[in-house]
Amino acid sequence: MKIQILISQTLRIGVSIACVIAAVGGVIYLVSHGGDPMPDYTHFSYTDAHPAEYTTLGGIFGGLGRMDARSWIQLGVIALILTPILRVLLSLVDFLKERDWLYAAITSIVLAIIIGNSLA
Amino acid sequence: MTVLVFTLILLVSAYLAGLLGSLTGLGGGVVVIPVLTLGFGVDFHYAIGAALVASIATSSGSGSAYVKEGITNIRLGMFLEIATTIGAVVGAIIAVWLNNSAIAIIYGCVLILTAAMQQRRKSDHDGVVGSDLARRLKLFGTWPQRDGSFKAYQLRGVGGGFSVMLLAGVLSGILGIGSGVLKVIAMDGIMKVPFKVSTTTSNFMMGVTACASAVVYIQRGNIVPGIACPVLIGVLFGALTGARLLKKLDVRLLRRIFCIAILLVAFNMIWQGWTGKF
Repeated sequence: MKIQILISQTLRIGVSIACVIAAVGGVIYLVSHGGDPMPDYTHFSYTDAHPAEYTTLGGIFGGLGRMDARSWIQLGVIALILTPILRVLLSLVDFLKERDWLYAAITSIVLAIIIGNSLA
Repeated sequence: MTVLVFTLILLVSAYLAGLLGSLTGLGGGVVVIPVLTLGFGVDFHYAIGAALVASIATSSGSGSAYVKEGITNIRLGMFLEIATTIGAVVGAIIAVWLNNSAIAIIYGCVLILTAAMQQRRKSDHDGVVGSDLARRLKLFGTWPQRDGSFKAYQLRGVGGGFSVMLLAGVLSGILGIGSGVLKVIAMDGIMKVPFKVSTTTSNFMMGVTACASAVVYIQRGNIVPGIACPVLIGVLFGALTGARLLKKLDVRLLRRIFCIAILLVAFNMIWQGWTGKF
């Protein structure tokens, strides 16, 4: 039962961190651009170049120091994405501890698919 | 409309989306998509990114309450995750070729299926004799009863359930929503998992499945900060409130009203998608 409490806490702490980081970005965004007209979200194109400040890891981390609102918000989104992944990782540790090799393997496959698709 | 007004309206909408998504078990993404597309005229490709964020937020937000009670069947969830994550990868590839109308029609169809499935009787599937494969995969479990004791359950239909989960993953990769309806069809309808267990396990899976395609969507620019920020915060708080309310509230009436609402949205989506209004 211990691992379940650990998982529950991981989820809570993970979403709290994500929320705080995104809120920092949100405040910067509203202070600097709150009065601007709403950006045009009515058309999306895959072929358009999207700013690196919110689409690449390098761009996001680069923007943090400049207090770029987009980068801070996106870091919050990344923290949010990492939370369930961390949870799967905790389950893997638990299965290994229980010597449940079948489920250790199944969990590893799931992790490999997620990480493989993210890095490709 | 200024950025400030848009952000505040979206924050409140996202809170309600998270609340409803958590109370009905459908996830926040289901409500976020029509709010953005029908409400603000946002392109579906941005709405999908927002729905992905909402799905993860609902899953983790309400998940922290469920796991502690020991309802979620982690083995079952993990095994089926192989299918949903592979599906999500495929879905994210397909999504590039779909225009707004096609996405609207697919989304509308998923909503109609969701409304139909909400009408079914919630069954604990007493006395199900499990299959040999399910036994070997150690998928049987126990779940807590009202009096604090634990009741054992068995399940079957592993192959069928796994196949439906592949499709659920594809839809999740295309639409960004958890496609909880297909997960429930697979677990409740085919595998005969007790209702409470299939709902919480589906919630657990929703977050992990969304993660499989989320990074790709960030790289493509679908997850745009101006929308993601209010959606993330709003849905998260909504889901937390929902998980707390769910223990005290009788949500039957709410689910019925919600059912009619999503049918209306579904027909609207399909009609506008069919006539090329998006």
